[in-house]
Amino acid sequence: MSFLLSRLLSALVVMFGVATLVFLLIHLVPGDPVEVMLGESARPADRELLRHSLGLDQPVQVQLVQFYQNLLRGDLGQSLHSQRPIADMIGERIGSTAILAGAALLCAILIAVPLGMLAAVKKDTWADYGAMGFSLLGVSIPNFWLGPMLILVFALHLGWVPVSGSDSWTALILPAVTLGTSMAAILSRMVRSSMLEVMGEDHIRTARAKGLSTGRILLHHALRNAMLPVLTILGLQLGVLLGGAVITETIFAWPGIGSLLVDSIMRRDYPVVQGCVLLIALIYVTVNTLTDILYAQVDPRVTLK
Amino acid sequence: MNTGKTYPPPEQSIPSIAMQVASLVLLLVVVVVLGGCKTSDSGAIRFGLASAPITLHPLHATDATSSRINRLIYRRLVDFDDNSMPVASLASWEQMSATAYRFYLGSEGREFHDGTRLDAEDVVATYRYVLDERNASAQRASIATIETIIALNKNTVDVSISKPDPLFPGYMVLGIVPQEAILRGHDLAREPVGSGAFRFLSWAAEGSVQLQRIGDDQLIDFVPVRDSTVRVLKLLNKELDLLQNDLSPELLNYLRAQESVSVRTAHGSKFSYVGFNLEDDVTGQLAVRQAIAHAIDRDAIVTHVFGGSARLANAMFPADHWAGNPDLKSLRYDPQRSRQLLGEAGYGPDNPLSMVYKTSSDPFRLRLATIIQNQLAEVGIAVSLRSYDWGTFYSDIKSGMFQMYSLAWVGIKTPDIFRYVFHSDAIPPKGANRGRLRDARVDKLIEDAESQVLLVRQAIHYRTLQSRLLDVMPYVPLWYEDNYTVIRDGFSGYSLALDGNYDGLISVQREPVTTHGS
Repeated sequence: MSFLLSRLLSALVVMFGVATLVFLLIHLVPGDPVEVMLGESARPADRELLRHSLGLDQPVQVQLVQFYQNLLRGDLGQSLHSQRPIADMIGERIGSTAILAGAALLCAILIAVPLGMLAAVKKDTWADYGAMGFSLLGVSIPNFWLGPMLILVFALHLGWVPVSGSDSWTALILPAVTLGTSMAAILSRMVRSSMLEVMGEDHIRTARAKGLSTGRILLHHALRNAMLPVLTILGLQLGVLLGGAVITETIFAWPGIGSLLVDSIMRRDYPVVQGCVLLIALIYVTVNTLTDILYAQVDPRVTLK
Repeated sequence: MNTGKTYPPPEQSIPSIAMQVASLVLLLVVVVVLGGCKTSDSGAIRFGLASAPITLHPLHATDATSSRINRLIYRRLVDFDDNSMPVASLASWEQMSATAYRFYLGSEGREFHDGTRLDAEDVVATYRYVLDERNASAQRASIATIETIIALNKNTVDVSISKPDPLFPGYMVLGIVPQEAILRGHDLAREPVGSGAFRFLSWAAEGSVQLQRIGDDQLIDFVPVRDSTVRVLKLLNKELDLLQNDLSPELLNYLRAQESVSVRTAHGSKFSYVGFNLEDDVTGQLAVRQAIAHAIDRDAIVTHVFGGSARLANAMFPADHWAGNPDLKSLRYDPQRSRQLLGEAGYGPDNPLSMVYKTSSDPFRLRLATIIQNQLAEVGIAVSLRSYDWGTFYSDIKSGMFQMYSLAWVGIKTPDIFRYVFHSDAIPPKGANRGRLRDARVDKLIEDAESQVLLVRQAIHYRTLQSRLLDVMPYVPLWYEDNYTVIRDGFSGYSLALDGNYDGLISVQREPVTTHGS
């Protein structure tokens, strides 16, 4: 319980710091929100009236306090362009981001675990070299290239899936594979090295001496222990995915947080940018805390202090 | 026999573990698949957009995509013809005095999509909403001269303005919304109710907007796809039927070579230019500005970069605009003359001219700037290119922190733009005279034009003004970019507008599929 409280407290401190930083940075960015709303040709009197009604004529510290108060009420403000509540805009997108993140994670695990295990079991053989070659390739290929290449092959030439969109479940496949591939590459290397380390330990030797089958040893004794460091990476990667896979969402016109963030930056809709960045920070903090808790569940040696 | 030892519980078998893993995977797949499932429709004409619309409230929209879609949903009192002359749309008008206009609502477009009738009270409510500063409408500046607006009866609206302005009817272009919607605070931004050629059906979270054409119920889906390459691939994969503008010349050329689509181009009014800071020691010299103008090979850029899909410009308005000047002398590419002018300004091989050229981070604009940089280098001008994100770039331009920059004006129709951009009273923040031009003759010509009560008289002064601007050269006019559409085979009737609007969707049709049999 004390661990949970301390993590919660540190999460709150981090969120407070992020909120302050984001608020101040947004105010340093060139561009006047009033001009964004009223246009360059607006009359000075109209500008001042709107500036006053938005509270932008107040000193920065007053605006900052107001910002904190709104945040505590869960009010992220309104979009400068659409005048819509930012919480609604984010709420509409978060589901799509979660679906894509889940699918990409699934894809990454399905590729990385067998591949990493294969590379570890067949160490220094062609299977190992092949698996690690794939891993290297996966890490090296940028998503902005992989995405269009997958589209060309699987959508345009083979016609198996749509190019992009979110109209059908098949539209999820290519963005999930694009996102999942690079994550699978990182994870498979981690699974391999972790498996190799575990395979040399005493309890594996004991399991072998007991006459257990290789499959059982790998799945039940080695993999479970090898997953501990993998879990940490997985947690961090999930944070990245939930925070919005900006490039992948843009390429595949996937309506998630990443594409909302990019659109808002392009439109200079700073309150929305602010809301998205805060949400991403919150996701990171939450996922990391949950990873720590999960760590203790998987490994009884780890205690939550 | 009991030995007294305790044993751990029997371990799960491999099949049991495999079953658990398989179940988990299956569950995740089902969740993902169900989560990703959405209904799709058919029969709609799918129009690819580079950016999603932001608001469908016609009195608050400022971005091009929203404004173009709003044109389809709402109707305006006044519209423009091919020469940018104001013409009747919902209403014809009569000038009652120098400052009074009477608008007569016609018979077309008088029914809102909710079934109620559009009458003069709706027009008045729409304009009063914008005039009310508390509503913070970006459209207010354009109609700020309106003093009173009243409904005489159901079909007639009287408007009085604070000073004579023959351009005034051209400002009456707000999309008319129901008075009742304004009064009860209906969310027009998300659930628009207009009387235009299309009724609004839905707006999905990802930005896709679906409209239905009045008359034949044809559905139109506006599908935003930011990445231009993916947009093109979707068109070729038959996931989109139509694209308009926002493609690189390479993609356009690639599409021209495809058999399943056709590319059509038409003249556009998007005006690109290179602007100068006239308060700067270097670009404040006319000879330097003229030298730069003669060093830019606009013909080569239009031919090789735009593939011929642009017209060379000599002024903000093309010659076919009612206030355009067809007699302007075209700027000539003449590197020899450019070097000579530089020499007259004191620059040459011994004292080379160096300057800073600012542009946005848009890849295509940056590429054009690089070409211009290279052309200027050939006459001995060393240009340092600075590319900024839009906010920083725009902020620098407005505050006069530049020597030279490039930008474009989009959708300008009325010559009041000249006061806004070139009058000495319009230096930011009062206007968009970003180059800080202070020319008494320019100011006088603008004021003389504005004092004319007839458009034909105004046009004469504006033509002289454009000639004067070419002499003073606060900017180098570059070109008007063509509009283009890429349309899949099987569609007809789509026409391109000068300002790149989507009105062609009013007439586009799917061609009936013909079958060949014996």
